[in-house]
Amino acid sequence: MVSQKILIVDDSSLNRDILTFMLEGAYQIVEAENGLKAIEQLKMHGHEFSLVLLDLMMPVCDGYGVLAYMKESRLTEEIPVVVISAETDQSMIGKAYDMGAVDFISRPLEPYIVQRRVKNTLALYEKQRRLTAIIAKEIQERTKSYDRMLTLLSQIVEFRNHESGLHVLHIKIITEMLTKQILKKTDQYHLSETDVQMISMASALHDIGKITVPDEILNKPGRLTEEEFEVVKGHSAAGADLIKTLPSYQEDPVIGIAYDICRWHHERYDGKGYPDGLSGDEIPISAQIVALADVYDALTSIRCYKAAYTHEKALEMIRNGECGAFNPLLLECLMEVEERLKNKMKLETVDPLEAVGKSVK
Amino acid sequence: MTIQECYQKLGGDYEAVLKRLMSPNLVHKFIGRFLEDDSIKKLCEGMDAGNREEAFRAAHTLKGVCQNLGIGTLAASTEKITEVLRKEQEMIPEEAAALLEDVKRDYQEAADTIRVYLASES
Repeated sequence: MVSQKILIVDDSSLNRDILTFMLEGAYQIVEAENGLKAIEQLKMHGHEFSLVLLDLMMPVCDGYGVLAYMKESRLTEEIPVVVISAETDQSMIGKAYDMGAVDFISRPLEPYIVQRRVKNTLALYEKQRRLTAIIAKEIQERTKSYDRMLTLLSQIVEFRNHESGLHVLHIKIITEMLTKQILKKTDQYHLSETDVQMISMASALHDIGKITVPDEILNKPGRLTEEEFEVVKGHSAAGADLIKTLPSYQEDPVIGIAYDICRWHHERYDGKGYPDGLSGDEIPISAQIVALADVYDALTSIRCYKAAYTHEKALEMIRNGECGAFNPLLLECLMEVEERLKNKMKLETVDPLEAVGKSVK
Repeated sequence: MTIQECYQKLGGDYEAVLKRLMSPNLVHKFIGRFLEDDSIKKLCEGMDAGNREEAFRAAHTLKGVCQNLGIGTLAASTEKITEVLRKEQEMIPEEAAALLEDVKRDYQEAADTIRVYLASES
């Protein structure tokens, strides 16, 4: 293992030598003769250092200057600072602690104490780093398995519809792309990276309400009567109602977003959609995004009543307002990502239904 | 002059310093380095120029060096002037001048003692 790097900051070369003598061998030592030199080192190699030993009283830039810089650049969160000083004034020591120092060693220095304090502080931070990494990985794993469950659930509904399970995957991909693009373009909708992830996860549930539509209507080969069509249209409100009954509806933000998406992904920007006839930004942005994704995927996929349009043709039809009315900003986003979208969709051609069929045989 | 006699004259505890630095060789090496430290020069310059902050920093550093090396007498007089110079104010307090004389005297004695010790050792 490469030994950890320690930055020693002290204006007296004698003091630096004494510290170096106490620590060399076990660690790699870098010296700085004042605060400014220390900041230069931290700027260039900040993340290489595992610990800073810092004197307080120094010419040019003192220890407090170093602490202020490290706090501002968020280095104190990563690199522990142990203050070493002949300081006896309690308020000066207190100030150093307040500015982010983790420990204080007073002169005269005892080698054993210095070595132990340095070792313990390093161990503590190392442990913290390890735990942070474990937690981050754990959260990622959980999010993934949650995402898989949502997808599985939605695909079951899709399979009943004899429609390809690909639809759910496509909607997720398109939704994620569009949401990311909005985030990049504007903060009008107060979106964050987490929102992008939650909205694309929740998008999988958009058609969950189809579970309430009877088989004979859902899979009717011919044209639907007006009455039957009304039943199909009921799927958005039905899906939302279904989600509202979930015990986690109140506390899980993904489920909250899923509610909005389910209920309003057939609304139109001009107010002519259903079930509530909302218009403009009355429609939650998540539902607006999924509505557009849904239309694009419907156009570019084969359905029992139509062939698949090309990517270009689909874009043209959407732009001409042949397939609904959308937020102009959202259309801009679609045009900006269209090239990447086209390539990505080409890659996603394996049909899960077929894949299942093959593995059964 | 032995190192023990040297420390006696410096008003320091050799045993404590030896315990900290762990080997007589290192005590020898570091005590020699004391003569290279220019904090005393900076302290005098700061006082002459009426620059309280600079004088304070230099005094503070000198105090730390003395404490590390166990140079007791000088550490004590340096600590006194450090505390007088600490208070943030425009002018250097009058009492500092007399304290500087003590520091200069103690420094001279310490430096002479160390020189004599180093000469007798080599």
